Amino acid sequence: MTGHDVVFVLVGLLTAGGAVLTVTSKNLMHAALFFAVTLGGIAGVFLPLAADFLALVQIVVYVGAVAVLFMFGLMLTRAPIGREALDGQNRGLAMAVAGGLFVVLSTLVIGAFGDLPTAEVTGPRIDDLGIAIFADWVLPFEVLSMLLLAALIGAIVLARRETGESGEELTVTRIEMAQDRDPDALEREQAALTSGSGGDGEEHA
Amino acid sequence: MAPSAPPGIGLLKGLGVTVKHLFKRPTTLMYPHERDVLAPRTRGVIALMDENCTVCMLCSREGPDWGIYIESHKETVPPAKEGGRARTRNVLDRFEIDFSLCMYCGICVEVCPFDALWWSPEFEYSEYEMGSLLHEMEKLREWADTVPPPPPLEEGAVLPAEVSDALAKAEKERELVAAKELEAKQAAEAPTETAGDAPKKGKAAEPEIHVKAGEIDQETFDRLIAEGKSERMARAKAKAAYVKKEKARLLAEAEAAGGAAEPEAPAPKAAEVKVEAGEIDQETFDRLIAEGKPERMARAKAKAAYVKKEKLRLRAEAESDTGEGTGADEPAEVPSELGASPEAAKQALDAGDAGTAPAEDAPDVAAEAATTEAPAAKKLGDVHIEGAGEIDQEVFDQLIAEGKSERIARAKAKAAWVKKRKQAKLDEEGGA
Amino acid sequence: MMLLVTSGVAPYLAQAESILDVGDTFIVPLLLKLAFVLGIFFVVPLVAGYLEHKAMARMQHRRGPVEAGPFGTLQLVADGIKFIQKEDLIPSAADKWVFAIAPGVALVPAMLALLVIPFGPGVFALDLELGLFYVLAASSVSVLGVLMGGWSSANKFSLFGGLRAGGQLIAYELPLILAAIAVAVQAGTLSLVGIVEAQAEFMLFGTGINLWFVIPQLLGFGIFFVAALAELSRPPFDMPIGDSELVFGYMTEYSGIKYAMYMLTEYAGMVTMSALMVVLYLGGWQLLPGVPLPGCEGAGGLFDCDVTGTLLGVVVTFGKIMLLVFVMVWLRVAYPRLREDQLQRIAWQVMVPLALLNLALVTIAKVVY
Repeated sequence: MTGHDVVFVLVGLLTAGGAVLTVTSKNLMHAALFFAVTLGGIAGVFLPLAADFLALVQIVVYVGAVAVLFMFGLMLTRAPIGREALDGQNRGLAMAVAGGLFVVLSTLVIGAFGDLPTAEVTGPRIDDLGIAIFADWVLPFEVLSMLLLAALIGAIVLARRETGESGEELTVTRIEMAQDRDPDALEREQAALTSGSGGDGEEHA
Repeated sequence: MAPSAPPGIGLLKGLGVTVKHLFKRPTTLMYPHERDVLAPRTRGVIALMDENCTVCMLCSREGPDWGIYIESHKETVPPAKEGGRARTRNVLDRFEIDFSLCMYCGICVEVCPFDALWWSPEFEYSEYEMGSLLHEMEKLREWADTVPPPPPLEEGAVLPAEVSDALAKAEKERELVAAKELEAKQAAEAPTETAGDAPKKGKAAEPEIHVKAGEIDQETFDRLIAEGKSERMARAKAKAAYVKKEKARLLAEAEAAGGAAEPEAPAPKAAEVKVEAGEIDQETFDRLIAEGKPERMARAKAKAAYVKKEKLRLRAEAESDTGEGTGADEPAEVPSELGASPEAAKQALDAGDAGTAPAEDAPDVAAEAATTEAPAAKKLGDVHIEGAGEIDQEVFDQLIAEGKSERIARAKAKAAWVKKRKQAKLDEEGGA
Repeated sequence: MMLLVTSGVAPYLAQAESILDVGDTFIVPLLLKLAFVLGIFFVVPLVAGYLEHKAMARMQHRRGPVEAGPFGTLQLVADGIKFIQKEDLIPSAADKWVFAIAPGVALVPAMLALLVIPFGPGVFALDLELGLFYVLAASSVSVLGVLMGGWSSANKFSLFGGLRAGGQLIAYELPLILAAIAVAVQAGTLSLVGIVEAQAEFMLFGTGINLWFVIPQLLGFGIFFVAALAELSRPPFDMPIGDSELVFGYMTEYSGIKYAMYMLTEYAGMVTMSALMVVLYLGGWQLLPGVPLPGCEGAGGLFDCDVTGTLLGVVVTFGKIMLLVFVMVWLRVAYPRLREDQLQRIAWQVMVPLALLNLALVTIAKVVY
């Protein structure tokens, strides 16, 4: 058992533990943090396979960006501290799906590569990687980037949807500067407010 | 930034400003190693002159942080005149300022109607424990020694009413004394040369000041200090002793001038003394102190004892109908009278520098007037009333060298000087 | 450091094939390297902190620390001792585990980033082929610690501080990496030692004038510097801390040794970023462009140095690092804090386009030349 194997086992255990805790923890932020641990663990798993570049990309993209974005989003919206009863009531189904996936993937991988002899891994040089991506496989690369761009634009479009397009009535209350308004309108509105009949309809139509 | 300037110029200007200041001298004062010159009226700590305190409680009530604690007891003062009404007055037992509460607003100093609270510029009294910031009366009295003297009045300023009143009275009485002494001197044919006696140690050029209040009996003071009493108590006792002696001496002089040869007559017995608030029966006081009673109680009881004694004596005198004439009484009253009436004079003296206090300036003015009108009288009068402000430089230097505070040293040096002068005069008179 | 050099742990030519493949034996060199990095990590940030104390003080007509040690040099050591003695407060509503781990999550990546930075000829713990990428990856993980601290403190100021930190670090990571990529493109390598070497060999369009990358990539250097300031939450980009608005941001509830860890992270980050700028733009341990170090023979007077040359190289590197730290302090004194919207606008509307432009220019020049 070489040093690489030790590292692999330790990091693998860490990753698996993180993954289990991600789905079992009751607190959303804890789940996100365990998810970050899992992603980092995956990066660690790449190291004994001499895939340094992949490991670093994993860290930069998934730990440094995706997990951070997760947490950022949670903190912006809802991130209560302490236990919360976060349970989708779908444990049985989830376990069935996960177990089935595991069986299928294991069968596939072992069936496909199980017969190959083990060999000492030597990672690709960074130059080779660059040439592979930007010369040999440049078309798939560009297509992928176009896909990501489309997804990005789609996200922006979704986030900026206008009133009515989503099919639900949105009540938009505009805050106007008092001096920009017609003083008579202001008076009328105040009169309406004091009389109890809201002036919202005509004011913000 | 002007709108025409290219972007970024303002940013560079900002950097220029900061880097320019990088090479300027720091303005930091390395405090424990070097000291700033503070304004003379810096508000460092609050000092108490407890003899001025009437326990009106204004300071305690007005202080926003409730950091002043006062305890007192009531005392009955017998009527000043026969058939008068007995009065009660508050006597201060305890006065504390908790400087851990104090916010140094100075309201207590402002509201004090009798100038008992003062700002002192001392500020280095930080402590390791909060409890130590509770300053008791004795501590507050020590701070009073560091209060700078009030600034001198402007040229030609009108004197405060109480000072000018007291001055007029003092002037009148001094003239009387002077007249009597002049007679005595002429009878003895011995003109004194007081100027020659003054120590010429640089301080001799100070103006001559005529104040009776605040003089202390140096012997008593030294003895009490040597016995380990507090400076405050020693001074109080020494004052009382001085007043007593002075009365005796003046009376003797007056009597000698009048031909009544009774040089050893004890003062309290001969003179009709008004029952002054500050007078205490020294014997009773000493005895009680020796018994270990607190100073406050001892003084209170001593006062009561004094009043009792005086009454008895006055009654006896009235019965025997051998009271002295009024002309002989008045001079004897001078010291005690002045000692109690102008509060300002008293506090200024206690403040430590008699030279610039207004109450002392005032007698100075009066003395100058007297000089022009009756030079002979002034010369004679000098010997026994002049004194405050002059100090015995030798004693002063020695005490400073011994590590005493400047205040104590100056007080002792003053007393020593007065003693010397008196001794010189006594010798002269004896020689004559 | 001399030990590392003489024991041949990291000779410049023997590039490590993998992060794990660090030597003949796995454990011993690793310990040596960790000791080396720890030494740097605990000493140089303190020097930077002292420099900040003093420079800031003098710009404000103060003296700065004077009592602890000669000229106050041991002030930060004294501060550290004080922090260790202080009570370690944890808010009762806080998420205790996350609260406790967060400073470590911020600190460890900052420490690991120092592993690959060359401080002199042969004076480095690792020469990774992916060195530059490694430093950027490590520094990007520190954000997690900040977010964790902000969330777990159960304090609205901490939460806002964490949010601001998250948004700021995501926004400025992009221009930082884009500017660094331009350097990598020009040098043709991601190895930090390789980049220093490339600068020693870079000639301005065949004229024979040796230049550091700061000249051809002045724009990139500016972007990198500003983005690094923002990444470190240094003024004028200190909105996550924003003491006039957010008490002390994500550090509000921290005290004692945990607070000290955050502070050490900040100063270590200053040193790391400055060292990275020295390596990427300012020629590493070269004294002047085109001037070989005395006592060095290999590769344009950069390698194979004797003791004098090595020491001189280290001194030059630290001098440059401290110069950059001083500039950071200078900016802190000179400029007021930006507004949050200004910060984001500068990042997305100014820095990212400029960084892309810089990258495009460098790439075109590289291809054409």
